[in-house]
Amino acid sequence: MDQQLAELTAKVAALQQSAGMQGTIDIEVYYFWATALMVLIHAGFLGYEMGASRAKNVLASGIKNILAFAFIVPTFFFFGWWIYLAFPGGFTPSADGDAGLPWAMAMGPNLSDNASGVFWAAFTMFAATTASIFSGAVIERIKMSGFVLLAILLGSVLWILGAAWGWHPSGWLLTDWGFHDFGCAGIVHLIAGAFCFGVLINLGPRIGKYLSDGTAVDIPPHNVPMVLVGLMLIIVGFFGFLAACVIMVKGGQWTNIYGQPMTLSAVAFNTLMAFAGGVIGAWAFTRDPFWMMSGGLAGIIASAAGIDVWYPPLGFVIGFVGGATIKTVNDGVVKVLRLDDAVGAVAVHGWSGFLGLMVVGLFATGYANPGDAPPISFMGQLVGALVCFSIGFVPGFIASYCLKVVRLLRVPDEAQLVGLDIAEVPLKAYPESDTAGAAGALQPAE
Amino acid sequence: MGSPIVKWEGAAEYFTYADRPTVLFTVLGIAIALTVLSIMKVGRHEKESYEKLTMK
Repeated sequence: MDQQLAELTAKVAALQQSAGMQGTIDIEVYYFWATALMVLIHAGFLGYEMGASRAKNVLASGIKNILAFAFIVPTFFFFGWWIYLAFPGGFTPSADGDAGLPWAMAMGPNLSDNASGVFWAAFTMFAATTASIFSGAVIERIKMSGFVLLAILLGSVLWILGAAWGWHPSGWLLTDWGFHDFGCAGIVHLIAGAFCFGVLINLGPRIGKYLSDGTAVDIPPHNVPMVLVGLMLIIVGFFGFLAACVIMVKGGQWTNIYGQPMTLSAVAFNTLMAFAGGVIGAWAFTRDPFWMMSGGLAGIIASAAGIDVWYPPLGFVIGFVGGATIKTVNDGVVKVLRLDDAVGAVAVHGWSGFLGLMVVGLFATGYANPGDAPPISFMGQLVGALVCFSIGFVPGFIASYCLKVVRLLRVPDEAQLVGLDIAEVPLKAYPESDTAGAAGALQPAE
Repeated sequence: MGSPIVKWEGAAEYFTYADRPTVLFTVLGIAIALTVLSIMKVGRHEKESYEKLTMK
């Protein structure tokens, strides 16, 4: 009897160990493939940005986009992950950040740690997304060197500082204000949009964008189909992005980053509904395929902060409003403020991100947060939105101003006129076409 | 750290080749230097490209 009991106990222990390991590996597999899906965001931004460029700049735009991705990865390893773990309390680093230092035992292959690598990878892809958002806004006239420095600042420092504050179970925006931003509407999109806003002020417009009386001239994309396919790829990648925003708990219900229970089904319902709302809203108000597909993105971003809690038709309505309003906001940026945002990044990401945070304050006020954190509130969301805007705008403006002073921000006019591909790329995008001649026809208006 | 791994029982982290602090920080330093130098190379390439363009 005793022997049977001992055997049974051993079997139960072995089963428990096996189930525990299986759970660990399930979590690792989940985030690994979510990260892989997120690479599609970058494939999409690449197509989007190259398509939105004129033919004479297409390869330079592509190189810029890919380099942003590539430089984010090592810099996020060197200091980005440490920033996330060290700064949830504000500007004073905590010892928790030690696990994110590049020589920490968690920062490499480790048979006793299946989590750090896949979480680091997912956050790295979020970081690269912010850099890609910025990349599109500044095409056709920013210097590659200045751009790379700004992309690293945004992707490996600023957004992740925002994430430590507002997208971390101990972040002060959560613990002091009850801030809620499930899908990073503010933490990724508003910060990146505000950063673009700050940089565009110093960068100035492309030659020919404004007439001498200040009237904005349309500079059409050289390949709209490439733009549309690129945007659709971003949407696919967003499923990976939003999946990676969910915390998989071994043997328990899913939670969001704040520890509130949720389901992947909520993400499935609302991502699709918000996408559809955004596309329809933008189409209804513009009839323009460029804005229609951007509307899909705006719809998801506008819903992202509360995608874990929306009733799907509300997600659709929020997405519709996001899609319907981006063209108007972009007109304000381009025509009133006279900032040449080549792809509408300030409107699509900045405005929709802001909208996303505020609708949570309107419709999800009172939802409980874990522990002692206050419940979700309009004021908490407003404070979070102001913090996100400031984290993006202020450093973006100051850093780009410094680069402007040392002449690392804007390419010379000669290079703009002839096209950046001819100026600095040892390869032709369309060797059988005289694209430089045709696309370079746009001359300065002044 | 314990590479090279000659038996897997009980193995945890394995930072291949960088199994001593001196080597680890040297490799890390090289990686950081390559990143920084590459950014400088981007700037140099641009400068030379634009100079060529204005000389034409």
